[in-house]
Amino acid sequence: MTSMQRWGLALLVPYVLLFLVFVLYPVLYGFWLARSPAAYAKLFEDPVFFRTVVNTLVFVVVAVNVKFVIALYLSGFFVNTRPWIRWLSVLFILPWAVPSIPTIFSVRFMLNPEWGMVNSIIFRLTGADGPNWLTDPTLALSMSMLVHVWKSLPFWTLILIAGRLAIPKEQYEAASVDGATGWQQFRYVTWPSMRTLYLTSTILSMIWTLGDFNSVYLLTGGGPADLTHVLATLGIRYIRLDQLEQAMATIVVSMPLVLPLVWFMVRRLSRDGTQ
Amino acid sequence: MSWKKAGTEARLLLVGIPVALWSAFPIYHIFLFAISSKDSAFSGALWPAQPTLRNFGAVFKQEHFFLYHFWQQMWNSLWIAATVGFLTLLIATCAAFAISRLRVRGGRLVMNAALFTYFIPAAFLAVPMYKAMSVYGLLNSSWSLVLAMVTLASPYAIWVLKQASDKLPWELDEAARIDGATPMQLFRLVYLPLMLPSLVAIGTYALLLAWNEYLYAFLLLSKETNVTLAVALGHFLSADDSPWELLMATGLLYGLPPAAIYYVFRRYMVGGLTAGAVKA
Amino acid sequence: MASVHFRDVRKSFGATEILHGVSLDIADGEFVVLVGPSGCGKSTLLRMLAGLEEVTRGEIAIDDRVVNEVDSKDRDIAMVFQSYALYPHMTVRENMGFSLRLRKAERAIVDERVGRAAQILNLQAYLERYPRELSGGQRQRVAMGRAIVRDPKVFLFDEPLSNLDAKLRVAMRAEIKALHQRLKTTTVYVTHDQVEAMTMADRIAVMNEGRIEQLGEPLALYDRPANLFVAEFIGSPAMNLLDARLRRSDGAAWVELAGARWALAAGAPGADGQQVKVGVRPEHLRLGAEGLAGEVVVVEPTGAGTELVVQCDGASLTVVVHGRSGARPGDRVLLAPGPDHVHLFDASSGARL
Repeated sequence: MTSMQRWGLALLVPYVLLFLVFVLYPVLYGFWLARSPAAYAKLFEDPVFFRTVVNTLVFVVVAVNVKFVIALYLSGFFVNTRPWIRWLSVLFILPWAVPSIPTIFSVRFMLNPEWGMVNSIIFRLTGADGPNWLTDPTLALSMSMLVHVWKSLPFWTLILIAGRLAIPKEQYEAASVDGATGWQQFRYVTWPSMRTLYLTSTILSMIWTLGDFNSVYLLTGGGPADLTHVLATLGIRYIRLDQLEQAMATIVVSMPLVLPLVWFMVRRLSRDGTQ
Repeated sequence: MSWKKAGTEARLLLVGIPVALWSAFPIYHIFLFAISSKDSAFSGALWPAQPTLRNFGAVFKQEHFFLYHFWQQMWNSLWIAATVGFLTLLIATCAAFAISRLRVRGGRLVMNAALFTYFIPAAFLAVPMYKAMSVYGLLNSSWSLVLAMVTLASPYAIWVLKQASDKLPWELDEAARIDGATPMQLFRLVYLPLMLPSLVAIGTYALLLAWNEYLYAFLLLSKETNVTLAVALGHFLSADDSPWELLMATGLLYGLPPAAIYYVFRRYMVGGLTAGAVKA
Repeated sequence: MASVHFRDVRKSFGATEILHGVSLDIADGEFVVLVGPSGCGKSTLLRMLAGLEEVTRGEIAIDDRVVNEVDSKDRDIAMVFQSYALYPHMTVRENMGFSLRLRKAERAIVDERVGRAAQILNLQAYLERYPRELSGGQRQRVAMGRAIVRDPKVFLFDEPLSNLDAKLRVAMRAEIKALHQRLKTTTVYVTHDQVEAMTMADRIAVMNEGRIEQLGEPLALYDRPANLFVAEFIGSPAMNLLDARLRRSDGAAWVELAGARWALAAGAPGADGQQVKVGVRPEHLRLGAEGLAGEVVVVEPTGAGTELVVQCDGASLTVVVHGRSGARPGDRVLLAPGPDHVHLFDASSGARL
């Protein structure tokens, strides 16, 4: 073995140890804990579980797609070069740059039905009482999605802006000369170049959204009556209830949803890395 | 022509103004609470009748039940974040160097394992990690949070650093080897100086990740004196009549440093963070 | 200083063998150029000597010491890369002194040797600059300085001039040659440019598809190319090559091509009726009263001479005429070489007859 190989192995040891001790062993041990069919039977009997799966699917499909359509649109807005747009982009990053807890709490207070900012504005404008934002399950879940979109929109818009900026300007100039309208430029120049990026980003965002604990937990706490849980918060709920087997079973049950997406991303990035 | 120009500007403003309100309002709302007295915080007004800095004073002097350990918790957040930043940088730089520059056998496997960890949603990994920490007897020790966060931050750090080091010309390593450098001299004298910008970005990334983390902190730590500020903020929700204006003042103090750091290193961060994704 | 020996060296990447047993002995102080088209294995051979690639089979020795398993850093060689590979974060002085610093040489010795190398290469004024503040030619010189400072047994050059513009390339060529004459260090130099090979080498090894096609002094290669590959590769403009039939009668020999005949020297090899490739260098073709008929299609005055492209029965021949030529496009001409300047190659094997 050359000295390069020897040193290489030595330098890998810290991470490999970290991986074995804090990822591989916990995961294997967790799966072992979740081996009993009884845990799954109990999980499927829990009325909260079914609701949670539906919530998770709705959350991932709706929130991610809404976010990406807006991000795609805004990326087109932000590539306009104006001084004020540059300033606006600095402001626009704020939700992503500020930690979740204060901002989500802020939204939570804003939505308080009695003294929240939103309902008091509604009252001032219409004279009517606003809805009970966080005590109606459908509204509460929608608000969680809104918070999620608010928080992660800047990041994905930045990614799509980078994608748009990577398109050579000549292509737009050529399209202009050929008489393409704004929409046609998007359809025939922008979209074909951005499609792969858009798809990859959407998949990645779906994975991360599946793991978004904060947007639900900090806003609704899973309530009212455990009706707004998603898989990410349900596992933690079981931990808090000291039902570790249930918690692990929840994770195992979500794997069919998560693993294909993860597999797709690992393959994609790992291939890129060798190019 | 100038009509057309004005029309374009108007259309841009029509997008820009809602975007500004949407982005800033929840944060302005924190600020509004933080400078309002207890009574006026709930009035629904967009600007308090008598703005006050008293809330910050109360936080600094730890004048409320929820704030008795404010400075201790601030310190916990700080040293944990700094330690996570340092350890992540150390582990990830070594691994990226071994994989990318020494082309160690099995490097690809390790990279894939790391990527896999990166893509498993953190909330799902939290459950087995929680159990493992209790097996290791680390629950309620700050080190459990440090190690968990290093575990979460390292994969992405390795990936970004590997991408960055793949871009360094291979001939530099060969020249150094011919010049007589051992692998460690290559690492210290050539690799580290050239990777400095990426190292700054990754260190900042790991530090912010740890500072901002709520879920793992709240699972792994519970003693009032060793929780981080993030967990302490969460505790406010445990009572119905919590002092929301103090919570928001604390939240502002907690939220501003990472935002400031982010803006200082924005150039590095955006470049580093988007590089991986845009390639695909 | 040292001699270098390749003994039946082979290199495979996976199942593909890209060097098929190369043997080459380089004498102490010699300047050998490995030249060939891209992909011929010349750089791989050099990198194996540098210790940057493993030797699959065979042996590489520096002096009497087999270095197959020796780390680059212990081979006592210095290398100049095509991309220069200067350390961007070090000044010129630090770049040049790096190898000595790694060897824990004393400060005074480093300064003295860097200073001397800088003087040889006219770099004194740039010692405190960073590579990004230098022009291409200066960077190239720093890369050479880094090699000189080492005072190694062998210098290796891997296409060191291909990133420079044409004028600078000529100047650096002369500089490297002068440097070698001054230091007399054994040098192995890789290039794809046959002009560089011709002008700099003591001996040239022409490589193709993982083999050495011919090894020899530059003019020997030019005058007596061993096969069609070398004939075409060495010389610019390239040698004209035509299909022909060899004839012999009454002690006279000639080749028949497209209705014309070109006389051969008395001792010309080959059998009557043999199918051959005839090679004639552009400067050895004469416009005359008899020979191969053709039509001038292009006239390119180069100042010192004139290059003509003549279309002859499907083949296109290049003719170099000294001084000015009265020929114009459309002129009908007859072409013939002097009998001593005809090269004959076997039509099927391509080997020189």
